[in-house]
Amino acid sequence: MRLHYLELILFSTYAELRAERARSYLGLLWWIIEPAMNMATYYFVFAVVLKTAQHDYVPFLLVGLTFWQWFKSCISHGGHAIWGQLPLIRQVKLPSQVFPSVQILADTVKFIFILLLLFVILWCTGYPPNITYLALLPVLLLELVFAAGAAYVVGAVMPLVPDLRFVIEQILQVMMFLSGVVFSLDSVPESMRRWFALNPIVDLVDAGRGILMHARWPDWSALGRVALISLALYAFGAWLIQHLTPRYVKLPT
Amino acid sequence: MSDTIVNLENVGVAFNAQLRMGSPRFWALEDVSLKLVRGMRLGVIGRNGAGKSTLLRTIAGIITPDRGRVMRAPVSCQLLSLTLGFVPHLSGRDNAILSGLMLGLRRREIVRRLPAILEFSELGDFFTQPISSYSTGMLMRLGFSVAMQVEPDVLLIDEVLAVGDADFQEKSGAALRERIHSGTTVVFVSHGDKQIQDVCDSALWIEHGRSVMQGGVDDVLRAYHAAPVAKSA
Repeated sequence: MRLHYLELILFSTYAELRAERARSYLGLLWWIIEPAMNMATYYFVFAVVLKTAQHDYVPFLLVGLTFWQWFKSCISHGGHAIWGQLPLIRQVKLPSQVFPSVQILADTVKFIFILLLLFVILWCTGYPPNITYLALLPVLLLELVFAAGAAYVVGAVMPLVPDLRFVIEQILQVMMFLSGVVFSLDSVPESMRRWFALNPIVDLVDAGRGILMHARWPDWSALGRVALISLALYAFGAWLIQHLTPRYVKLPT
Repeated sequence: MSDTIVNLENVGVAFNAQLRMGSPRFWALEDVSLKLVRGMRLGVIGRNGAGKSTLLRTIAGIITPDRGRVMRAPVSCQLLSLTLGFVPHLSGRDNAILSGLMLGLRRREIVRRLPAILEFSELGDFFTQPISSYSTGMLMRLGFSVAMQVEPDVLLIDEVLAVGDADFQEKSGAALRERIHSGTTVVFVSHGDKQIQDVCDSALWIEHGRSVMQGGVDDVLRAYHAAPVAKSA
């Protein structure tokens, strides 16, 4: 992508975050409060009410949700981005890929704040930083590529089938439960586990937990598979947007 | 031939009438041919719904035609868009940068032109305030000042020749006329004969998505008015 578009993406991201801050009374605090409330909900249901007996359940849940919420917001925000910017796309010649990219970047900035908060919580509750933190960067980069690819695909199709916005949240909800975010997949029957393993989020969340909770290096072969899937999805998503862009301007207003 | 910068041959553009699958398409442009030569100031006339705006966006490269051929030399074609991409909660200054980036300027170019934008828009201290606090007139002043910073090879104008309240209208009109007559290639869509006569050195008449005639302004206007008024589509 040309340097000019990179400048546009960066500045639009700044604008997006800035505007978001101005739109509410508590502003930036919501970046922390919203995910914290979400985590508290799951904690209440699974740890307090259902009394999940799993060892280390709280850090298990926090790491899972932190990784998941980043992925989820990239898709729900990035997925709506092109559809939401159709009036602009009708007026000026820009690569449509810019719009979901801005949302993904904005969500990544917010994720970094939450990740730092997660670090502090883990360090204070007996999970100190360790050498395997070095592997965190590649793991997070892979998640970013995977999330971007998924967001591009959803974003590319949304203008043509806006009905998608009614189902996407439900799909994400199901996907969260199937990704071992709030409960361990150990309880899943052996016969189904093979299919679960195809989901890159499972491997990414697993790698994250290994690093942050057990000082365990990630399973590099699993991550290699995730890298292949992610890059393929990213390339497909970028291609799809480019391929469908001529149709966006011809849609009914 | 090297001076032809945009050439359309029998171009047609179809829109989807509805989002449903298999919904019929309607042809906003049926068959338009035009030739744009460097430095030309082309006026496009035609009745409502003739496809004038669609034509402009096709020339700009925003719309890809469904049939016919488009030749475009490696030049920048930009629609004169006011307040493009403006975000309510951002300051006038940030919006100027954002809009400028969308219009194809590099960031350092816009930053360099911020003083000129501030001066031309007469916004004073409001420049650093969120534009949600602006009046419509102020918004137009900012939008116009930003749009004038973009210097495309081909400037595409849809009706708008001046904006804002009375004083600013005079100022913005003068600035735009100066730009038009500075040797830029211009395509100008308008209803008004007088404006086309003032601004353009040639004209194109389109009717129901078809180009009827391209030539000198007076000849085309005469033929346009001599034709019986077609029923609107």
